[in-house]
Amino acid sequence: MKQYISNIYSALATVFIGMKITFKHLFVPAVTIQYPDVRVTLPGRVRNRLYVNMDDCIGCDQCARACPVDCISIETVKSVPGEDLGKTSNGKKKALWVTKFDIDIAKCCYCQLCVFPCPTECIYMTDVYEFSEFERENLVYSYITLTKDEVLEKKANFEKFEAEKAAQKAAPKPPAPEKPAPPQA
Amino acid sequence: MNLYDIIFYLFAIITIVSATFVVFTKNIVYAAYNLLLTLFGIAGLYVLLGADFIGIVQLIIYVGGILILILFGVMLTNKITDVPIKSGVLQVIPASIGVGMLAGILILIVTNISWRNMELTVPESTIGSLGMLLMNEYILIFELLGMLLLIALIGAANIARK
Amino acid sequence: MIFDYISSFLGAIPAAVIAGLVPMVFIIPFALFAVYWERKVSAHMQDRLGPMRVGYHGFLQTIADILKLIQKEDIVASAADKPLFNIAPVLTFTGSYAAFAAIPFSSAYIGANIDLGVLYIIGVSGLVVAGLLMAGWASNNKYSLLGAMRSAAQIVSYEIPTVIVILTLFSMVGTLNLYELSELQSSNMFNWMIFGGTVTGWKKIVLIPLMFAAFLIIYLTTLAEVNRTPFDIPEAESELVSGYHTEYSGMKFAMFFLAEYANMFAVSAIVTSLFLGGYHSPFGYLGNTIGITWLVPIEQFFWFAFKGIALVTVQMWLRWTLPRLRVDQLMVVCWKYLIPLSFLIFLIVSLLMVL
Ligand code: SF4
Ligand code: SF4
Repeated sequence: MKQYISNIYSALATVFIGMKITFKHLFVPAVTIQYPDVRVTLPGRVRNRLYVNMDDCIGCDQCARACPVDCISIETVKSVPGEDLGKTSNGKKKALWVTKFDIDIAKCCYCQLCVFPCPTECIYMTDVYEFSEFERENLVYSYITLTKDEVLEKKANFEKFEAEKAAQKAAPKPPAPEKPAPPQA
Repeated sequence: MNLYDIIFYLFAIITIVSATFVVFTKNIVYAAYNLLLTLFGIAGLYVLLGADFIGIVQLIIYVGGILILILFGVMLTNKITDVPIKSGVLQVIPASIGVGMLAGILILIVTNISWRNMELTVPESTIGSLGMLLMNEYILIFELLGMLLLIALIGAANIARK
Repeated sequence: MIFDYISSFLGAIPAAVIAGLVPMVFIIPFALFAVYWERKVSAHMQDRLGPMRVGYHGFLQTIADILKLIQKEDIVASAADKPLFNIAPVLTFTGSYAAFAAIPFSSAYIGANIDLGVLYIIGVSGLVVAGLLMAGWASNNKYSLLGAMRSAAQIVSYEIPTVIVILTLFSMVGTLNLYELSELQSSNMFNWMIFGGTVTGWKKIVLIPLMFAAFLIIYLTTLAEVNRTPFDIPEAESELVSGYHTEYSGMKFAMFFLAEYANMFAVSAIVTSLFLGGYHSPFGYLGNTIGITWLVPIEQFFWFAFKGIALVTVQMWLRWTLPRLRVDQLMVVCWKYLIPLSFLIFLIVSLLMVL
């Protein structure tokens, strides 16, 4: 009987204590951030959408090799002698036309592994995080600065150059090609 | 045709149609739900006859209690999935004889009694006089019924404990 | 009442139809508001904001939701029992709608002023149980059936203490008519049944704690009858997906929803008219003071809706406070605590009344 009454008492008491707590929370200001109207300030080193500064890219393909999910694809064409590609901002000479530099940002896992190997620090993370699209294809970002025609032109140039070189090689008929030196340790 | 006629025919049709379904449907669950409609229609008829207390008690006890129990039983005892619950036709000849006799008696009674015609009045509430009757004239029967129900309750609890 | 008034110039049949439709005018806006209110209350109790974007502070959110529900495809599972599956939401809604017929909204509007008001409401709520069982069985889904079973068992058990508490009141006032009962609790707050009604003298002092306990009991049991937390095991989201309406979509789901919210208000309205003075204002009426008598019923309606919505708010408050009871705990609460206690109150009150 004593147990019975104390059960009733504790049931009522705990219910009222609980209700008091929830009632207090009615007046606690909400923690919700009303996103599109209010945005949180992001911390300094957030990792969001990648950006490639093509002026500095030397097309070394190191970022693509570092990427664990293979979402960067780079194609390059060698420049022919006489073409001046300019220099990167830290003084490296560019020697390759980058004819394709695609990042499939839909695959990207924002690990930032591509950023570190870059010798010219031209691929980096920005703080843009709102880039949803209706079509998945639109998430393949292309960064090249060359137009399609230019790409074709560069390719054609290079092939012509190769062909010329091959022709040059073929014409004088060099006497017995030199044996390549044995690989050294 | 006034409002009362419409309500009467509505309830009468509900009662008869659903009662027919109860008899002829093969699916027990359908039968149970049609029974619900039947009981509901009868409750409506009671109310229309001025027996409001009986009508509502009909609703509470039959619809709210017994029918729910029937449904409960049907749903619990049969497998939840598949296996349609069917009731077949058995004992056709004895059943039709019994039903025929019952129907004959009922028809005899209905045709032979000289029914009284009453003026249509807004029914008075019966609950006060009902209470008086139960607590004065029929107190013994009332108490005995109470005892009976109590005994049934204890018995049920006892069986359930085993 | 309203029926007589309309039938005096339109004839009986249109009057019956119109008088029957009046509660609809109340239920649908109420349900819309209650859903919004519930989301807001729950959000603020959890330090959130809730709907904010449709209309001012999300006020039109539920209207948008209803529009969405109307557009939704009506899916009937192929293994479901089609006729019953389609009837069940209607039956459930009918049950909770029929209860509104006997609720006295104000002294000028009560759908049917019947002498057995409360018993009638309890009777038709049996239809709700039947509808839930039907939905659960017809869905042909384990979760639905389990939910329906649980809700039927729960509602049938919790009806007992409800009725006993109601009996207690009737042994005090000697009427089952909700309108008369409300009229008895007029003039001031201390005539409300929760303060012992119109009884005077030392009996009133004894009655107050008893009536308060009776009020708590009936509030809990009606809470259980509308399947709200902490008694929401029939639709326990974390165990049963959502119980009997798991398989429903579109407007049929909306009907269950509407029935649930209508029921919430109906039980709050019953508790209000039984214990909290019905449609009577706790103070006087403005209309009486300034001499405009037609204002009084409107004020009464306001007070009735206010009390009802306040009780509904407490239901929501409880929902966001308490965890769900286990099935056995649920039955223990009902059979070992509420029923004996309500019997005890019944006995004491009846004795007091005889003295
Ligand atoms: S961040 Fe990671 S996943 Fe994304 S492109 Fe760079 S290396 Fe690949
Ligand atoms: S590592 Fe840097 S320089 Fe090299 S290809 Fe990638 S972006 Fe260009």
